[in-house]
Amino acid sequence: MNMNPIGEAIDRIDGFLKVTGRANYAMDFPVENAAHAFLFKSETAAGKILKIDSKAAEESEGVIAVMTHLNAPKITPSRGLRGGAILQDADIEYFGENIGVVVAETFEQARNAANLITVQYEKAAAKVDFSKENSNGTVPRGREDMRRGKFEEAFESAEIKLDETYFTPIEHHQAMAPHATVAVWDGDDKLILYNESQIVNGVQGAVAATFGLKPENVRVITPHIGGGFGSKGGAWGHVVIAAMAAKLVKRPVKLALTRNMMINSVGLRQANIQRMRISATKDGKLTALSHETTTHCAINEEFVEPCGDVSEHMYDAPNSLVTYRVAPMNVIIPTYTRAPGKSTGSFALESAIDELAHKLKIDPVELRIKNEPEKDPATGKPWSSRSLVKCLRKGAAAFGWEKRKMEPRSTKEGDFLIGFGVGCGIYPARQRETSAVIKLKNDDGKVSATVELAASDLGTGTHTIIAQVAAETLGLPVSDIGVKIGDSALPPAAGSVGSVGASSFCNAVYEVCLKAMEQLQAKTNVEFIKAPTAAELMQAANLKDFQTRADAKPLEIADKYASHSFNANFAEVWVNESTGMARVKRFVSATGAGRILNPKTSRSQMIGGAIWGIGQALSEESVLDPRWGNFVTRSFADYHIPSNLDIGDMETIFIDEQDKFVNKLGIKGVGEVGIVGVAAAVVNAVFNATGKRIRSLPLTPDKFV
Amino acid sequence: MRPFKYTRAAETAKAVEAISKNKNARFLAGGTNIIDLMKEDVARPDELVDINRLSFDQIKATSGGISLGALAKNTETANHPLVRQNLPLLSQAILAGASGQIRNMATNGGNLNQRTRCTYFYDTAMPCNKREPGTGCGAMEGINRMHAVFGWSEKCVAVHPSDMCVALAALDANVKVQGADGKTRSIAFADYHRLPGDSPELDNNLKHDDLITEIEIPKNNFAANSYYLKVRDRASYAFALVSVAAALDVSGGKIKDARIALGGVAHKPWRALEAEKFLKGKDATEANFKAAAEMEMKAAKPLEHNKFKVELGKRAVARALTMAMNGGKTA
Amino acid sequence: MNEEKFDLEDCGNPPDMATVESDVLTVDEEKLLDELGIFGESRRKFLGQVSTAGLSVLAMQLLAENEAFAASNGDVKTAAVKLENAVKVSMKVNGSAKSLDVDSRMTLLDALRERMDLTGSKKGCDHGQCGACTVIVDGQRVLSCLTLAATCEGADVTTIEGLATGEKLHPVQAAFIKHDGFQCGYCTPGQICSAVALMEEAKRGDASYVTENIQAKARSLNLSDDEIRERMSGNLCRCGAYPNILRAIKEVHTGKEQAQGWKFSESSETEVA
Repeated sequence: MNMNPIGEAIDRIDGFLKVTGRANYAMDFPVENAAHAFLFKSETAAGKILKIDSKAAEESEGVIAVMTHLNAPKITPSRGLRGGAILQDADIEYFGENIGVVVAETFEQARNAANLITVQYEKAAAKVDFSKENSNGTVPRGREDMRRGKFEEAFESAEIKLDETYFTPIEHHQAMAPHATVAVWDGDDKLILYNESQIVNGVQGAVAATFGLKPENVRVITPHIGGGFGSKGGAWGHVVIAAMAAKLVKRPVKLALTRNMMINSVGLRQANIQRMRISATKDGKLTALSHETTTHCAINEEFVEPCGDVSEHMYDAPNSLVTYRVAPMNVIIPTYTRAPGKSTGSFALESAIDELAHKLKIDPVELRIKNEPEKDPATGKPWSSRSLVKCLRKGAAAFGWEKRKMEPRSTKEGDFLIGFGVGCGIYPARQRETSAVIKLKNDDGKVSATVELAASDLGTGTHTIIAQVAAETLGLPVSDIGVKIGDSALPPAAGSVGSVGASSFCNAVYEVCLKAMEQLQAKTNVEFIKAPTAAELMQAANLKDFQTRADAKPLEIADKYASHSFNANFAEVWVNESTGMARVKRFVSATGAGRILNPKTSRSQMIGGAIWGIGQALSEESVLDPRWGNFVTRSFADYHIPSNLDIGDMETIFIDEQDKFVNKLGIKGVGEVGIVGVAAAVVNAVFNATGKRIRSLPLTPDKFV
Repeated sequence: MRPFKYTRAAETAKAVEAISKNKNARFLAGGTNIIDLMKEDVARPDELVDINRLSFDQIKATSGGISLGALAKNTETANHPLVRQNLPLLSQAILAGASGQIRNMATNGGNLNQRTRCTYFYDTAMPCNKREPGTGCGAMEGINRMHAVFGWSEKCVAVHPSDMCVALAALDANVKVQGADGKTRSIAFADYHRLPGDSPELDNNLKHDDLITEIEIPKNNFAANSYYLKVRDRASYAFALVSVAAALDVSGGKIKDARIALGGVAHKPWRALEAEKFLKGKDATEANFKAAAEMEMKAAKPLEHNKFKVELGKRAVARALTMAMNGGKTA
Repeated sequence: MNEEKFDLEDCGNPPDMATVESDVLTVDEEKLLDELGIFGESRRKFLGQVSTAGLSVLAMQLLAENEAFAASNGDVKTAAVKLENAVKVSMKVNGSAKSLDVDSRMTLLDALRERMDLTGSKKGCDHGQCGACTVIVDGQRVLSCLTLAATCEGADVTTIEGLATGEKLHPVQAAFIKHDGFQCGYCTPGQICSAVALMEEAKRGDASYVTENIQAKARSLNLSDDEIRERMSGNLCRCGAYPNILRAIKEVHTGKEQAQGWKFSESSETEVA
């Protein structure tokens, strides 16, 4: 038996469920007597609903009810809800807003009836063209201009200057499992929601507040999540609508979004215009750096992803300016999308650094190392650990960076131009309050344990790493550890968001296991020569069952340090000179992210992030019709996430990093950092290949014409 | 999806009879396009006549060339030894389209009748003359990056989405059709699909009760030098921005005959007749390929967002011809 | 500043920690397995060969819950209501005969999921654009979301639930676990069905768009990496497991063990688990 499973590359313990089709996602739970719901949505971006004709739908075969703002139960939206659209009034704020739902006996009947609804609108002028609205930006709440030193003075007087603007389009999460909710009422005051939720207790709390229920009377069940990437963080309109519909028809209701509906139901990553100004000395020392972002939010609700964050922490620039402007638009509210702000912000920063390196004729790896800060430039705090230089060195060596030619268009094979590019990433490491219960059981000397907490697993491997931590702390084999997560009835936990999952969950599990060991030790007077296992303690204490709970909090000392994961990404891109089709043939990432709990599942997260970044660089773009505010990219046929053939060889390197300050287990998290810096690495490689600097994503073939 | 009656046809006469009786009935073969359109509420037939049990599924050599059964699956067609050896251009074109799963379902006849992927056609909240004549064209003044640069009208700027049809156009295929009267007739491929003109709701010249039975491809000398090039937004499983079917009959470095058709640029597969004419009798050189491409794309009339297709079309035509000269091997 | 406020408060009010009982009710896993009639050593066997990490208590719990929910007699569920355009259809699914009345509009995917309790096949897009619903019909991989159930008269359907032989996983399933060919797992049933069918296509010598010489005679193929990638491109994976999916398929296709690549900076060798 391996006594130290933490850090081992064990297979996912829930893997067999997933390969046999037995893992249950929201729509897979066999709920008896469930009716099927199908949403219908607004066909204008601003104005009011004047009239809804639902007669034909109501008379259509199998229809049980049509619910609109006219007959929906009145509820009190909690601020935890995302994006409104819960059928409380006639106002329309964006194209594709939920305006009603059909409930029928079967899915086919509900979908058909939804097509029979006709709606009259009083249309109002809509703000849907970002190219016009971006000049109307104002300072977002809590994001005042951030200045260090004297940016303007330093920039103006500098020897070498760069002033460029970068554009990233709206992107969508496009999790493979469409958002779905199965709502089951138990009487008037108890509600069960089968709903894929990254933040189990968040959805529980928001829905409870909305329906005026006690939180413990709302149970959210989500053992597996079919991808989320931020879009399954909050409770969006459809979650509430499913519960309202179930109340209305007095039956369980199943409501799934269609793929097309996902485009304006569950948030998006907003478009960003980022102006970068960088100045440097001739030998490559940065003297000033500014990162000014203009973006958009919903018409009545603000959300801004922090693009400028990367520029606050990445490099040592004595004079700095980071600003945000946000313009309200009649578009669904943006939301957290994989590495919010950092992924898009790093595209701008890391492209600009590459441009500067080219200008200075300095190798871009060396330019970055030259500007490595000793402590966090933004806060002045020391780093709890920072391995960016190591990431660059190790990554470059593994990639064969030394073969890169500084002059663009130097490498050609047949019709292909070949280039190398580098881009770096950063993501903050944090721990959030999380509680956990451990239950030990002694079955005639066979001791097993179950850990319980309301954590979630997006596919990141939460089940597995929790089992590893519990097994090591208890001295039991991983196979004797049960893990119960994805249920709000379990002790409250942080969300699988913002790279806080692994550190929050695992530190809580670690604490509760340690506590169990201490308490068991106290129950026995047997003295052990070497550290006993939980099994030995249970035997010694003659216990059949034992359980305890811990409520873990972040370390106080963590506050005294700046803690971030870092990475360096290296891409080899082939661009077909005739067709303009670009492909990342080879990709190496080197990451310093504290303790790696399981390199197998961590690698999957790293390559997954990188593939998101490749999609961001080369193919993903959501396009609004500037006349009406509808998305013209509504399906997987229009919104191109990478396919298997788009991806080449991917190599993952973890820097051995022991961080004593970030949290007890030294975990920094790998979910977000994997995408950060990737798009820039690809775009920089395209420049190296073709000599063409493209500052507007994505690099589809038309950009090369 | 609207309610519809499902009729499983065991023989051709019954299938044609069922369709003839009902103006709102449609044939169901592979279903990969019509089921999709019905789910979107774009197609609203009230009856589907399942013809999958009919016998038009053979691929065989005929005196004039090769005959592809209308109900043979795309996968089977692309992989049939007769097709791979004699019509590699067609195999490549079919394999460039969709995915393995879809090609296993899609039939040859159905492939011809695919409808456009124009987003305004697919979105029932948008105006579209093809879906609902008289409502206007959403794409003309809207987002038209994917749209036509040749042969469009004020009524419609949509493009035909098929890859297979681009190769069939280049190979001068004939479509054999059985009418309600039981008689069979042959439609030259160039006359099969329509330009939008004033009736964009019509994609082709079939009558309501016509049943495609086979597609005939005449003998040719292109097998040694042909290539299907597809330019798209990702490496696989995406519709074409521009595609080119190129075929050359070359002898001693001289071009005896040339066939070029483009996909993703018009309401139907677009034969590059100017370029073909230019190349006949010329040396098979890259300079001539470029000149031919240049000549053909001169007539292009791009819209606001698809200007890139003109230059991309030039490069793609030249590249496809070069690849054809290299024996059609993939890069 | 600008520390992201991506925390619990922002996403709803979590219940007060103190008010949540630590002694929450949970399903008794042992009891469930007992009810299923799976005892002693056969429990291990039942789940056997599924993970090199061995059998976990978690695995038992989750499986027990899933199995307990599933219809035990293999019968199809009758339609909830009388249907306007009902079509009677009989097919074989994972080896057993099924006969049911379906709405003419019902897809094979919905018939499997709603009427046969086979929820392994997933609805990722419902429009033939993602591959999550891939099943094998009469030996060919197809999209069950674009297949009307009514057209499946006499068809032989294999879903993800039918790939394992008794208690033994199909080699592709085992390889997906070993190479971590998934994260969220939602596209996985489709990926695996697709991969299983792909092996047969390769044996037949079927060509793809990236096949170098399309004119070459069809023969059993040793697929290159790009050949596998192209042939699997009809199955989208948003978690980005493609390189691991490639390794899993390659291992089964070639019969040769594929490396699982990650490195730690202090070691020079690739770690192989």
